[in-house]
Amino acid sequence: MNRFLLALLICAPLPLRAQLLEIAVERRFADDAKVHIGDTVWIAASADAPEHAARVVAVTEPAADPATIMRRDYRVRLHLPDLAAILGQPDRVDRFGVGLEPGVDPDSAAERLNRVAFGYQVFRSSEIASQSSTTFLVVSRFHRAIAIISILASAVFLLCLMVLKVEERRLDVAVLRFTGISRRTVFRSLLLEAMVVAVAGALLGTGIAAVASAIVNWYYQRTFSTALIFSLLQWRTILFAVVLSIVLGLGAGSLAAWRLVRTPPLTLWRRAG
Amino acid sequence: MKGSWALRDLLRHPVRSGLALLGVAISAALLLDMVLLSGGIERSFEKLLLSRGYQVRVSPKGTLPFDTEATLGNAAQIVAGIRSTPGVVQAGPVLGASLFARHDGALLPLVAYGIDPTAQGIYVLEDGRDLSLGDSTHVLLGKPVARRLGAKLGDTLVLVGRLDPEVAAPARSVKVVVSGLVHFLYDAKDQPSIALTLPMVQGLGGPHLVDRASVILVRAADGADTGAVVTQLRQTFPKLGVNTVGDLVAKFRERLAYFRQLSLILGSIALIVTVLLVGTLLAITVNERLGEIATMRAIGISRTTVIAQVVTQGLLLVVPGGVLGIFLGLGTARWLDAILTSFPGLPAAISFFVAEPRQLTIAALTLLVTGLLAGVPPAWRAANAPIAATLRSDAP
Amino acid sequence: MTTVLAAQDLEKRYPLHGQDVAALRGVTLSIEQGEYVAIVGPSGSGKSTLLTLLGGLDTPTAGTVRILGTSLGELDDRKLTRLRLERIGFIFQRFHLLPVLTARENVELPLAERGVGVAERRARAEELLAYVGLATRTHHRATQLSGGEMQRVAIARALANGPAIVLADEPTGELDAATGKEILALFRRLHNDGTTLVVVTHDDQLAAEAGRVIRMLDGRIVA
Repeated sequence: MNRFLLALLICAPLPLRAQLLEIAVERRFADDAKVHIGDTVWIAASADAPEHAARVVAVTEPAADPATIMRRDYRVRLHLPDLAAILGQPDRVDRFGVGLEPGVDPDSAAERLNRVAFGYQVFRSSEIASQSSTTFLVVSRFHRAIAIISILASAVFLLCLMVLKVEERRLDVAVLRFTGISRRTVFRSLLLEAMVVAVAGALLGTGIAAVASAIVNWYYQRTFSTALIFSLLQWRTILFAVVLSIVLGLGAGSLAAWRLVRTPPLTLWRRAG
Repeated sequence: MKGSWALRDLLRHPVRSGLALLGVAISAALLLDMVLLSGGIERSFEKLLLSRGYQVRVSPKGTLPFDTEATLGNAAQIVAGIRSTPGVVQAGPVLGASLFARHDGALLPLVAYGIDPTAQGIYVLEDGRDLSLGDSTHVLLGKPVARRLGAKLGDTLVLVGRLDPEVAAPARSVKVVVSGLVHFLYDAKDQPSIALTLPMVQGLGGPHLVDRASVILVRAADGADTGAVVTQLRQTFPKLGVNTVGDLVAKFRERLAYFRQLSLILGSIALIVTVLLVGTLLAITVNERLGEIATMRAIGISRTTVIAQVVTQGLLLVVPGGVLGIFLGLGTARWLDAILTSFPGLPAAISFFVAEPRQLTIAALTLLVTGLLAGVPPAWRAANAPIAATLRSDAP
Repeated sequence: MTTVLAAQDLEKRYPLHGQDVAALRGVTLSIEQGEYVAIVGPSGSGKSTLLTLLGGLDTPTAGTVRILGTSLGELDDRKLTRLRLERIGFIFQRFHLLPVLTARENVELPLAERGVGVAERRARAEELLAYVGLATRTHHRATQLSGGEMQRVAIARALANGPAIVLADEPTGELDAATGKEILALFRRLHNDGTTLVVVTHDDQLAAEAGRVIRMLDGRIVA
């Protein structure tokens, strides 16, 4: 139907009139306006248009649509002829949904219809879905860009902190080398430390992400009164994040450790002193 | 002397100081981007709305202009009423409709704006001549349409409206001459828009568009109290939506609350990371130099000097890091803006990241204060380390 | 003769593994202006602890220390720091120079803290470095100097503000014999020029140079 916004005026339950229209309202509207099945509402095509009484016959839960969630519009349903009459546009629709018999190819059906179409176009449902999810794709690209920046930033921070942490140990390393411990052993021990920190950090980060994800969903589901999932922690995402954290942590740790073990122990001793 | 002393101390460890500086720069860049994002699109939107001097918009109640297909009825009467309101100098109705242009045997969909040429605020004339009042033979084209049609000034186009699938023919068609090329201020990128006089669009669009308008732009007199004008309009037209630019921006802001919240969260994270990075570096530096610091205190260097020296070191990381970060941040802001401005239907003139001196100053000051605060705990520790015990523990 | 430093019934106890360890027990002494005093004793006798209390680097558990009549216990940290800056010069076993500063800048440090202008403190620092025999090494960083040279710089630093008394803790402890002799000679010169010196040392030769030797054992003065 035309996406006209209907102005809904609520009044207390009135005696039913002849030809009372029927209307189904979405749950969010019913909650916010405290409307129940059986109540009568007044609807009009615009604030200055004539009003029509309608009885609430159903409360619906529309499928959560991320593309429209921010708009906070209320969605209602009427019988097609009723809406057309209210809008003063009989015999007009925005679109038809076309069901095909099993085995019929949607592409060839769309093509045939488009050949005879005048004043309308025929699309596959998947094309519509793809167009309407453009907003979503933009947000996804934005998130990905932020993720790239965050990963780069994390890599630098990690390297810096690993260098600091490892450099603090230069006296220990000098003493170990003086007593005959090989570079390889020292390197491995520093790397092991870095790995423990990286694994522990990755696990802690996963825990924090799970908590944060739950908080985000709780907050936005309450705010928009929807069952939509805003943040979804999938195993794939967790695995990627953990592997990346460990790789970055090990990378940073090994770079820092390599710097330390290649420095002559006497130099380390002097620097520490 | 404190400054050169602090600087040389940082340069003793070029790798870690360099990494810390880079870390601060990245944090600063992220912080700057989030500050720019936090209000960028609203400022951009507000600037756009005010670009032609119309401070108020009248649209169907409960809608934002051109947000839905809802239109105002009895538009002429409403416009007359608005024009006679004290403090109003101009009221310009605009009607949006779908029309088509015949081109190479096909019909090209267009977005048509019906306007009052004496009071329009949706386009800027770039070439040719504007429409005149009552003009029924001319059209203004936006550049995307001109490109697609290969049309230039003086060309004749056939515009059609109300396609009737039953007879496979348009109910109305009209020939018009291109009199001007314009830039439509509120259009999305490559939007195929044209402008005609209001009666022409109403006629081509169909009977349901007679005497209707999508929005009415209202300009208050210079020096007039816009608030009073709006109050008067709301009283006169209680069933219409009367919104100031501020109201529209506020509603827009609500729709984009996600970006504000995201900018707050990421901005906070950037600050926390800066504190951790600078604080950790200084803490380790202080730790390594406790013996030196105890000696300084022993020979009579005051706590204040010691604190100042450590805090100066922190600032020597944060200030150049911040400057580098600003350049980095402006670069990443352009990248992120290019992503976000590809939202379908978003006016091409709008930016999410608007770099104004105020925003840069806020980001810089926030970073500076954070850097200062990050240096305080290690500085305090340094200044209050027990002298004798520290010297003893520093002895072989 | 002016009494530069007077300590009365000094005690210092440290908690160690839940018990109180007495590092100093009832130490009383006074140092007159121009004196060269050596404090000697075996390790753990409390020599260094005594020096830190005399210099106001630590607070005694009991007793008082006065420098030129001012009781250190009555001063807050700011005033005590100021007193150390203006009245006391410290020389440490490990020199404790700032490695990022040059020899001259290390000597200038206490002068800068006192607010002396750039030109004046530069001149004074160079004068002091010349006094300790390092006129040609003023622009070298501390890390570029030998142990003996670093200790000379430390001595020059200690003299920067014209202190009433110089306290030295094992000044030759980190030096070889030859270099130690050079420092010895310098201390002799300081004493001859009227500097009041208190030196904690294991070095017999250094102790022999002193006009008075205070022997310590188990936290007490025994001789």
